[in-house]
Amino acid sequence: MDDRRTVADGVRLAVRALVYAVLGGVALLTVATVVSVLGPVLALDLYTPPVAAWWTVFTAVVVQGVPFLLLGTVVSAAIGAFVPERAFSRLLPRNQALAVPVAGAAGVVLPGCECASVPVAGSLMRRGVAPAAALAFLLSAPAINPVVLVATSIAFPGQPAMVAARLLASLTAAVVMGWLWVRFGKDEWLRLPKSRTAPGASSYGWTGFVSGLRHDFLHAGGFLVVGAGAAAAFNVAVPRSVLEIFTDSAWLSVLLLAVLAVVLCVCSEADAFVAASLSGFSPTARLAFMVVGPMVDLKLIALQTGTFGRAFAVRFASVTWVVAVTSSVLVGWWLL
Amino acid sequence: MRRYGPAVLLALTGAAVLRISLFGDLYLRYVQPGLRPYLIVSGAVLVLLAAATALAGREHGEADEEADAHGHSHGPAGPRVAWLLTLPALALLLFPPPALGSYSAGREAAQRAAQGVGTFPALPSGDPVELTLAEFGSRALYDSERSLTGRTVRLTGFVTHGEDGTWYVTRLLVSCCAADATTGKAEIRRAGAPPVDTWVTVTGGWHPEGGPGSDAAWPPVLDATDVRRVEQPANPYEKR
Repeated sequence: MDDRRTVADGVRLAVRALVYAVLGGVALLTVATVVSVLGPVLALDLYTPPVAAWWTVFTAVVVQGVPFLLLGTVVSAAIGAFVPERAFSRLLPRNQALAVPVAGAAGVVLPGCECASVPVAGSLMRRGVAPAAALAFLLSAPAINPVVLVATSIAFPGQPAMVAARLLASLTAAVVMGWLWVRFGKDEWLRLPKSRTAPGASSYGWTGFVSGLRHDFLHAGGFLVVGAGAAAAFNVAVPRSVLEIFTDSAWLSVLLLAVLAVVLCVCSEADAFVAASLSGFSPTARLAFMVVGPMVDLKLIALQTGTFGRAFAVRFASVTWVVAVTSSVLVGWWLL
Repeated sequence: MRRYGPAVLLALTGAAVLRISLFGDLYLRYVQPGLRPYLIVSGAVLVLLAAATALAGREHGEADEEADAHGHSHGPAGPRVAWLLTLPALALLLFPPPALGSYSAGREAAQRAAQGVGTFPALPSGDPVELTLAEFGSRALYDSERSLTGRTVRLTGFVTHGEDGTWYVTRLLVSCCAADATTGKAEIRRAGAPPVDTWVTVTGGWHPEGGPGSDAAWPPVLDATDVRRVEQPANPYEKR
């Protein structure tokens, strides 16, 4: 009796498996046939030169961003996992207004472009650094590190004033933004995860490092893809040569290049070369391009939305844009 | 899938980065040669991270899943945004997008390098001398000693067509990644135009137009003696 039941069960199981396999196989075959017949036709129709250019620029921005994003997330995961809770608050001046310029100047030590600085700033805040100071660091690091300054001096040969102006204008804008946050910033705009791991699970040591690294990279990577897609769309849709029409008006050209810096998302190590090639524009307009670019662009806004929340990213990006433009106009008027 | 999702994503991204940098030189379509070591290291780190994640997931799957759920609760976009990484990763693994070509070159007015008229270091001896389009352009435009005079020059690039039958050898100049590409070109005379986007090596002599630094001198002109079709070079761009 028992035996018969097991045999019946076995047969039923085998039949069910067979039915599933046949149904699944047929479905799979149908899908494969339809895709292989229609796919190339559809792909050829959709794969026009602008679409191909979009794919290439999109992939290029992501490929370019991955090493720097990884560097940033390694540093940020290491801060989270190995640096004691109060270490930074002991290093930085207690007075926030003083801590801001110190943190801004500390941006010199992170040799990377802007993808690296967002996760690092996030982990600094989690480690008890005042948001104002961490934000000053976030803004200054991609603009004033040695790699970027050397690239700028190569792009503008024989014009050391341009390098000095970039350093000064970027640092000024970063520090001013820090002070503005001290005065007007509200912590509820910031949405920071308090801890990445479950209560009880270790966020310290190697386990914490690996889980922090995985989480930060995947999260920021997704937003990097969003930013890269937007940047590629603008890159393909708006040829730079269109802007040369507006080179006559000094004010308009500054604003235009400041907007262009936001939509093109050129990495801060390369933007000096792009600025140098915009030869029709005034030096101040090109300075604004180099000061705004590392602080506000579509890719960065996407990354900041992911790390700090949308409420923060929208306010912060728009105010930073105004401050960066003002700072580069003043510095450009003085130095260039 | 839920448990192994992060590991799969990291492995895909790492594999895509390694495929274009370690196993071939496709990365040159997107970024500059100098980035290669960093790409290889990043790819390796991502693959290792994927392995560590998968192992950790198998050992204490339940606890880990809980940790993930907690960690991601901070954003409405949550971890789902990370799945967008499959887009570039699969594109690179399956259909690597082509290098930018005539379409992008036509969108940008060719930029003349921003520099003043002056003297240049002597050209290497021997004819023909291989020059980048950037080098040819700046010597043709800004060299007060006109070092190109009487030399046979060889340029490599793809073909673009201008108005009323003129054609150019064109190359995109990239300093960091393909997003910052600008165009360098030279007009070719005394030879029929090959189809757009054909890669060619053109040999010939410089044909001076206008005084140094003047608008008439741009774009530089080459009187071709020989036009040869070539394969697209491994690095389709010129370093700016």
